[in-house]
Amino acid sequence: MRRALLLVASFGALGVHHALAAEGGGMPQLNVHDYTPQLAWLAIAFLALYLVMSQIAVPAVSETLARRQAKIQGDLDAAEQANRQTNELIATYEKRLADAREAARGLLREQGEADSAAAAARFQELHDRLAKQIEDAEKRIAAQRDDVMAGLAGMSEDIGRDVYARLIGEAPDQAALSGKVASAAAQGAGGHR
Amino acid sequence: MHSPMEQFEIKRWFDLHLGGLDVSFTNSATWMIIAVILATAIFVVGMRQRALVPGKLQSVAEISYEFIANMVRDNVGDAGKKYFPFILTLFIFILFCNTLGLVPYSFTPTSHIIVTFAMALFVMVGVTVIGFARHGLHFFSFFVPKGVPWVLLLLLVPIEIISYLIRPFSLSIRLFANMLAGHTMLKVFGGFVVMMGLLGGWAPLAFIVVLTGLELLIAFLQAYVFAILTCLYLNDAIHLSH
Repeated sequence: MRRALLLVASFGALGVHHALAAEGGGMPQLNVHDYTPQLAWLAIAFLALYLVMSQIAVPAVSETLARRQAKIQGDLDAAEQANRQTNELIATYEKRLADAREAARGLLREQGEADSAAAAARFQELHDRLAKQIEDAEKRIAAQRDDVMAGLAGMSEDIGRDVYARLIGEAPDQAALSGKVASAAAQGAGGHR
Repeated sequence: MHSPMEQFEIKRWFDLHLGGLDVSFTNSATWMIIAVILATAIFVVGMRQRALVPGKLQSVAEISYEFIANMVRDNVGDAGKKYFPFILTLFIFILFCNTLGLVPYSFTPTSHIIVTFAMALFVMVGVTVIGFARHGLHFFSFFVPKGVPWVLLLLLVPIEIISYLIRPFSLSIRLFANMLAGHTMLKVFGGFVVMMGLLGGWAPLAFIVVLTGLELLIAFLQAYVFAILTCLYLNDAIHLSH
């Protein structure tokens, strides 16, 4: 509707001015003699600009835009690639860390086992040595006791002989004395034990 | 006082005749050529380095390119790619002619109906040829709205045909009338400034400042409208859509 109104108005204006033009002055736009120079130079100028645009400007701009788009896309791809590589590296690192931790734990366990085995062996050795020393000591004590016991019998005989000689005034029968001392010792020992 | 229409007069810098045709170099031709040279400079000099990070001039070239590329893609689709350089040329040419026309003492080639009509007619003939080339006689189905009783078609088909034939006129007059009106207004208010002198001339002068801003917007807007309507007409011819 607006377009139609504009059309009517414009045609109306043209008509009015055409009438004015006939009277002289008026609208230069309606001077038919000026049409061919304008049309000719319009064709020349427009064709020239069209050639510049289609042959130089459009290829130059589209090439630049495409190159920029490719560059941006390339950078984005590179960034994505780098990101992926970083993630892979992190995963590898974490896996290695976990492996190392596991290995360390295994080593510790083994070491602990070895340590306790060695300790047990040393303990056993010490135990054996101490037991042997105790045994030796006991043997030595037994020997000394036997010696003492043997000395005790001789001493008893001497004492018996002296006592007998003082009481009776003569030397006792050696064999009988030894027998008495032995039996008394045996009896005493039996009684004390 | 000069007539506000005087600024639209065609002045011949030097006469030129070619096979009986008057092809004199005029003020209009001068500013068309200046527009072409400036646009070429922006695109050729701006894109000379083809930098990945664009400078100022390259940004201007790229933004113009992408602005029209998006327009063609959104309104015509992939089939419009072939015609993109033409629509870019159309937009840039009209934009530069319109904008340079705001420079004092310059001339606005697009303020002449013959120039805008030639461009609009070229677009419409081109679009129609593309339509026939792509669809053959099936192109006529464009004038027959779908799902309408045949009795109504008797009325609608002529309307469709007339509206199609009117397109070059509406397209060219829209641009021409906007340029004409804007420049005439500026001139009229410029006359007021002189008339009212030092005492009262400030008010129309302030208005001219505002109006110049508006005209700058219109210069861009009309180039945009011309380009987008060309896209829509092209889309009609390629896809026979309604």
